Amino acid sequence: MIGTRPNNGWVIWLTFAIGLLLSVAPMPEFMEVGRPLWVALFLSYWTLYVPHRIGMGTAWLLGLAADVLYGTLLGQNALVLTLVAFLVLLLQQRLRMFPMWQQSLVLLVVFGLAQLVRLWLNVLAGSPPPPTLPFLLPVLVSALLWPWMFVALRGIRTRLQVN
Amino acid sequence: MRLLALVVLSVALMVVDARFNSLKPVRSEMGLVLMPFYWLAEMPARLWDGMTEQITSRSTLMAENEKLKAEALLMQRRLQKLAALTEQNVRLRELLNSSALVDDEVLAAELIGVDPNPYTHRILIDKGEKDGVFLGQPVLDASGLMGQVVEVMPYTARVLLLTDSTHSIPVQVNRNGLRAIASGTGNPERLELRHVADTADIKVGDLLVSSGLGQRFPSGYPVATVTEVVHDAGQPFAIVRAMPTAALNRSRYLLLVFTDQRTPEQRANDSAIAAEQAAEAPAGEATPASGSAATAEPTPAAPTAAPAPATPNATTPNTATPNARTPSTAAPGPSDARGPDAPPSPSSEQTRPSTPPAVPADQGAQ
Repeated sequence: MIGTRPNNGWVIWLTFAIGLLLSVAPMPEFMEVGRPLWVALFLSYWTLYVPHRIGMGTAWLLGLAADVLYGTLLGQNALVLTLVAFLVLLLQQRLRMFPMWQQSLVLLVVFGLAQLVRLWLNVLAGSPPPPTLPFLLPVLVSALLWPWMFVALRGIRTRLQVN
Repeated sequence: MRLLALVVLSVALMVVDARFNSLKPVRSEMGLVLMPFYWLAEMPARLWDGMTEQITSRSTLMAENEKLKAEALLMQRRLQKLAALTEQNVRLRELLNSSALVDDEVLAAELIGVDPNPYTHRILIDKGEKDGVFLGQPVLDASGLMGQVVEVMPYTARVLLLTDSTHSIPVQVNRNGLRAIASGTGNPERLELRHVADTADIKVGDLLVSSGLGQRFPSGYPVATVTEVVHDAGQPFAIVRAMPTAALNRSRYLLLVFTDQRTPEQRANDSAIAAEQAAEAPAGEATPASGSAATAEPTPAAPTAAPAPATPNATTPNTATPNARTPSTAAPGPSDARGPDAPPSPSSEQTRPSTPPAVPADQGAQ
C-alpha cells in the first residue's frame, strides 16, 4: 500500500471537519455527558486504513484545532489525539485482522487511556476534577459507535478509492 | 520517537499557554478560522427558529405585540421615575462629596455556542476584539449578571459563567450591604456563598448584587437570590445557597458592559486634559491622547473621540458636577474600548436612556 499515489485526500479532511463540527454541535444536556469522541473516532479509522497518510502529525494538528475550538490549553487535545494515533498505529497490524466487535473492544481500551490522560491534564490545567466514571462514558459510547462508523467510512473509502 | 517529539511539543505548548501571553495572538488567529464551526453547528437550530417564526400565526404575533407594548409602557413609567432619581442621586452624592456614578454603556451580543465540555460553564458570543470586547469584561442578560469574558478572538469571545466551579464574584446583600463571595458550584442553578459567619444577617429571599469590590464587575447589578440558609452547628460557617437571577442556561441575547475602569482621579485628570485640548486645538482635529486607546483600530477611535470635546456641553445633562461637565471622552483608559465601539454597532445603547444615545456615557469626577 505504501507508495501509492494519494487519491481523494480531501475526503479525509472533510470527515475531520465533520468530526470537529459534531464535537461542538449543541446537544440536550443529559446527552452532553456522553458525547462521543468524534474526532478520535474519525482519526482512528483513517490511521488504521490509510496509515501512510494519516498519522501522529495529523493527529497533533487536529488536536490543536480542537484545543482552539474548545478553549482548552493549546496542546491538551493535541497530546491526547497523538496518543490515540500512536496506540492505533502500534496495534494497526492486528486491528486490521480483527472482526468489528473485537476492534471495538480494543478501541475501548485505547480511548479509555486517552480519556484518562485528558482527565489528568484537565486537573493539571486547574479545573476541579469531574467525576471519573461519567467522564469515561464518552469512551463507552464511542466504542459502541465504532461499528457504524466503520461501515460508513469503509463505504466512503471503497467508493471513492481514498488512498 | 515521533510520539516523544510531539508529546514534548504539546507539553511545552501547554506550559507556555498557561504561563505566558505569547500564544494568545496565535490562538485568536486560529479561532478566526475555527469559530465558524460553532456557527455551522448552530445552523439547524437557527433554521428551525427561523421557520417557526415564519409560520407563526397572525394572532399569536398580535398577542405578542400587545404584550410587548404593555411591557414597554410599564418600563417607560419606571424610566420616568428613574430620570428624576438619577438627578437626585447625583446631587446627593455631590453633597456627600463622593464621586458621581458613572453610567455604563452596553453592547448587545448573541450566543452562538455552548462549550461542549459538560463540566465547565462557558459560552461563545458573536462579538469579539473587533467590537471592542476585552478580557475580563462583564456580561449581563436582561435580569442579572451572567459572567465575564475569558478569551477574546477577532469576531467571537468566550464567556465564563458565574456558575462555573472556577468562578467567584464579590457580592453584597442588597438589603443590608453585607459583603460575601459567591462561588460557582458547577450547577447552573446554584451559587454558594463562602465564609459567611453563622450569625450574619442573611435570609432566604435576599437579593445579592455585585459589590464591585473585585474591580472586575460593576457594582449594583443583581447576581442571585438566596434560596437556602443552613445553620449547622458542626460547620464553622453558615451554608448559604443562592440561585442566579440571570437565566444562565437559557438566555440567547446578552449585554456586554463597558464600564469606566479609571479611578476618579484619573477621570478628573483626563477631563482636565481634554478640556485644555479642546480649548487649544481647532475643532474637529484628532487629539493625540485618543490615539493611545488600546484597541485594534486606533484610527476610527480618533474621529469618534475627537468631536466630543468640541460639542457643546449640553450633551451631558446627567451630570450636575461642574467638573464632569467637560466631556472627557478623549482619553479612554487602557482597557476601555468605548471609543471605537459606539459608532459601528447599531445595537449599542445605554442602560439608562436618560443620557442621549449618541453621546458616550458621561463620566463624573470628584
